[in-house]
Amino acid sequence: MFGSTKIKLDSSLIERIRKFAEIAGYSSPEEFITHALEKELALLEDAEDEEEIKKRLQGLGYMS
Amino acid sequence: MTRLPRPHRRDGALITAAALVLLAGSPDTADAYIGPGAGFAVLGSFAVIFVTMLLAGVSILAWPFRTVWRMIRHRRTSKPLVKRAIFIGFDGQDAAITERMMAEGKLPNYSKLAEQGCYRKLRTTYPSITPVAWSSFSTGTNPGRHNIFDFLDRDPRTYLPRLSSTHIGSVDRFLKLGKLRIPLKKPDIRLLRKSKPWWTILGEHNIWSTVIRVPITFPPDEFYGAQLGAMCIPDLLGTQGTFMLFTTRPETESFQEGGMRLPLSRNGSAGSFEATVKGPENAFYEGNPPMELPLHIEVDRAKAAATVAVNGSRVDLQLGELSDWVKLEFKAIAGMKVAGLTRMVLTEAGEHVSLYMSPINIEPGKPAMPISHPSYYSSYLEKKIGPYATLGLAEDTWALNEKVTDDGTFWTQTQDVDDERERMLDIALDRLRSGALVTVFDATDRVNHMYWRYTEDGHPAAAGIDDPGYADAIEQQYIRNDGIVGRVLDKINDDDVLFVLSDHGCTSFRRGVNLNAWLLEEGYLALKDGADPSEPWLQSVDWARTRAYAVGLVGIFLNVKGREAHGVVEPGDEANAVKAEIAGKLKGLVDADTGDVAINEAFDTDALYRGPYKGNAPDLLMGYNHGYRISWDCASGVVAGGVFEDNVKAWSGDHIVDPRLVPGIMLCNHDVESDDPHIVDMAPTVLSLFGIRPPGHMDGSTLLDKESL
Repeated sequence: MFGSTKIKLDSSLIERIRKFAEIAGYSSPEEFITHALEKELALLEDAEDEEEIKKRLQGLGYMS
Repeated sequence: MTRLPRPHRRDGALITAAALVLLAGSPDTADAYIGPGAGFAVLGSFAVIFVTMLLAGVSILAWPFRTVWRMIRHRRTSKPLVKRAIFIGFDGQDAAITERMMAEGKLPNYSKLAEQGCYRKLRTTYPSITPVAWSSFSTGTNPGRHNIFDFLDRDPRTYLPRLSSTHIGSVDRFLKLGKLRIPLKKPDIRLLRKSKPWWTILGEHNIWSTVIRVPITFPPDEFYGAQLGAMCIPDLLGTQGTFMLFTTRPETESFQEGGMRLPLSRNGSAGSFEATVKGPENAFYEGNPPMELPLHIEVDRAKAAATVAVNGSRVDLQLGELSDWVKLEFKAIAGMKVAGLTRMVLTEAGEHVSLYMSPINIEPGKPAMPISHPSYYSSYLEKKIGPYATLGLAEDTWALNEKVTDDGTFWTQTQDVDDERERMLDIALDRLRSGALVTVFDATDRVNHMYWRYTEDGHPAAAGIDDPGYADAIEQQYIRNDGIVGRVLDKINDDDVLFVLSDHGCTSFRRGVNLNAWLLEEGYLALKDGADPSEPWLQSVDWARTRAYAVGLVGIFLNVKGREAHGVVEPGDEANAVKAEIAGKLKGLVDADTGDVAINEAFDTDALYRGPYKGNAPDLLMGYNHGYRISWDCASGVVAGGVFEDNVKAWSGDHIVDPRLVPGIMLCNHDVESDDPHIVDMAPTVLSLFGIRPPGHMDGSTLLDKESL
């Protein structure tokens, strides 16, 4: 309910996003925007702590 | 005559009302996030109850306005063709076994459904693995458009594996109050499956969906409907399932990944012992010490029985018998607790005493993480059916693999989880006047995995069989599924459409293939000088001299410059050449020990997938032959050892093979024109059944239209 924020974008940009999103196979322009931003953030954010990763994977039946 | 189905108001309002009743008497349990390195919500228990009740009340009061708004905003332009669309999923149900049993008359309800409508093999995804296949079922897209290629992904910055379907962040901002530190926000929890599931699209058109335990729904979607999440919901420790074995036996070897061995200490008399149950990490204190609960056990060796006292409960156990669910509440700080459920087995009561405790599931009545939509749906189900398993992979395969439990205990776990699931299905089906319903049953997949060794002479894991009584476990499971289908058939009407499907089949897993060992032999992977190749997670690898590596369960990544942190292969022509060279060598790879072909083909994923996320896939996807799968060591990033090894674990059947070898099944109460349906066809089909044109990004095709109904 309170998990999202509205951002204003130029309408011509929205139109370009809408066209490209459909061609690229996104389910919506919102998905395309989210993906573009996530790719940028991945370059900036730190990698996860190794020990935390190992703990989270513990118990996954397909692997030892 | 086709009628416009009315919006399904009943479930939403009743669930909300039930939630208010539930929460009015809730004890003080934190709306807490749990997991390694993560923190808890700032709100104390009373504030959580108050806010939740407020939200539920607002939801009820706002419902008329939201319904009108929804009807205005999403006026339907075409009429639904059906009243209800029902999907029953049996994860892992194999086509070859199903066809044989139908021919033998052992699955009468499947046969009835096939005769009434149709039976087809159902093509599965590349790879043929649960998170990928169900994501394609949900979204109607190939993996390049939904971003799930495996259970695991790798972080190209570190080469370490991570869960592909869920991101769970850490809390890094605290308010310090003496010894305490109060997390100032909840950690970020995100579902990484992309595209849009069909139930969300139905909801945008004011059509209700109930979605029960479809894999890759954690955290749950938000849509017009109700959903109980499934894979990969963690246990209360934040892992994918960590059991505990309390034992007086001295520690020898630690368990591989799946469990903890904890000491059981004598306390007074010869039959009296105590131990400490390890709970989630407590982020309220520096260093995140684990929350703990004392456990006391009184053993009566003459009767082969014991009484366990934990968390104010007294549980009577007979040797070898699985207890009912036992609630555990761990104290975080004063006034704040985290709740879980577990089941126990007294596994030894002789010279040594041992007690198995299952992974501690998140308590559905007081979930410490978001496991359902609406948030109180899990509580609603608990009030209706009692406590139930919430862990993504709920059946404890690792305890059986480690021989901590036995075939009987595992069988009981799988059947009980299926029982819980069928009760959820019954409730949802009885209440659904119009809309869609999907329920996935997991036992078939688990039973295939763990009892396959009973079905093959000479299987390396057959040496460990302890009870020939389970020789027909797989058949018994399929017969049970047939019973479920029969009960659903008794409840559906002429204006309902029913699909029974599976996401993939199963085959033998006799020999493991260590791709990293093969890459090392062939010169594509190099080790650091002096490194120990038996270290997990590729820690021994010299990335500056490595052109390819294997992480996860399905394939090989190239070490590409600009993509991986220490990439050496130039993207473009060089990468394509290396990829083609590796693929050429792996195609038809023979296991010298057996003379069998181990790998049918290594698929180029650039050609296999289309969509914005295909760059996240492994570069090569393995198509293992019958009997072969990635080895246990390779899946953990161990490079040491031979390329091929026997699989001696109880986990003796698998489906992470050439997808052409393990199709799933599809039955419908209407005939479909297609002779070769694919699991991606389900999403566009359900949309069409409700008069909604499938969006252009979906890869699947509609199987049923007006004419075929």
